[in-house]
Amino acid sequence: MGFGEYPPEYNAKIHGPYDPARYYGKADIPFGQVKLGELGSWVGRRNMSGIPGAVSRAFWRWNHKYMLPKKTGFAPFAQLMVGCMIVFYSINYGKMVHHRNHKYHW
Amino acid sequence: MFRLSKALAVSSVGIKKVVTERTILSLNVCLCATVQEVRPLVLVRPTSTSAVQRAEQRDEANFPRPVRPVEPGKVRLGFVPEEWFQFLYPKTGVTGPYVLGLGLTTFLCSKEIYVMEHEYYTGISILLMVVYAVKKFGPVIGQTLDKKIEDIEQSWRDYREGSIIQVKESMEKEKEAQLSAKGQDMLFDAKRENVALQLEAAYRERLARVHSEVKKRLDYQLEVANVKTRLQQKHMVDWIVKNVKGSITPAQEAATLKQCMADLKALAPKA
Repeated sequence: MGFGEYPPEYNAKIHGPYDPARYYGKADIPFGQVKLGELGSWVGRRNMSGIPGAVSRAFWRWNHKYMLPKKTGFAPFAQLMVGCMIVFYSINYGKMVHHRNHKYHW
Repeated sequence: MFRLSKALAVSSVGIKKVVTERTILSLNVCLCATVQEVRPLVLVRPTSTSAVQRAEQRDEANFPRPVRPVEPGKVRLGFVPEEWFQFLYPKTGVTGPYVLGLGLTTFLCSKEIYVMEHEYYTGISILLMVVYAVKKFGPVIGQTLDKKIEDIEQSWRDYREGSIIQVKESMEKEKEAQLSAKGQDMLFDAKRENVALQLEAAYRERLARVHSEVKKRLDYQLEVANVKTRLQQKHMVDWIVKNVKGSITPAQEAATLKQCMADLKALAPKA
């Protein structure tokens, strides 16, 4: 299935040790540099089955940057807290609406 | 045929075991090697022996070895990444992101998309306590943890250095053992010479004994012969004397005595 295995484009002899934060496929134009005319083709090249891989790579990139360095501070935990706050607030928004202090707003 | 395949299977298992051990060792060493040190004394160098690291197609330029950073990414206000501020800096300057944050929170609160209900005030209190705790205890905890990490890494380094020293010492001891083994050779030669000398000594002693024994026997024979001739001589002399004495008749005796007296008288006046 591919879950828990190396990506098929990873070759240990060329790429060396496996870095879970890197994408080992063919490099595409970054989204920030795509021209408006190429947008359609760019979106067409996206691949739905690569989303779990992308989520995993994003998680590992965040890890490498904030959690795994030798001298981390409180930042990753603060980011986790804020992230959880946002997620749970949005989940419970329906209930929160009823606790508004005023009925009408500008 | 069966034996050949079994031997192949055993050797392949052995090779796999060796390869995994080597890769585990090399991973361990890579962990030590990939730590980016602030102090310039510690070397960061790859020391693995795995074939993967030495392959010709290894693309070092585009896929460098991942290095563990020492400092985390910069954040402002404790959780906002610095990159977001830098992203907005060209367009909005230094105060841009703060104004954005303030405006956003004002909008959310005034339209009551973010409802400030009782949980909000709980959150404010908890936030204050967390900020105070982090500011007060953070550096202390950070330093103790850093020291523990440093101790662990030092133990890794000491293990590696210690193993190298141990191996070198055993090399020296091996050389010494080889030298002493050569000495064993000389000892053996000396012992052999010793035994040869002893044999020679025993041979000579026996030779001397033989010589003395033979001489004794010859001396005995000589003595026997001497005694025999002596006895024979004595017996012969005695017999001759006895016979001569017996053959002297009394008349002869008187005549001889007279003659002697005349001789003596003849000699006396001359003196």
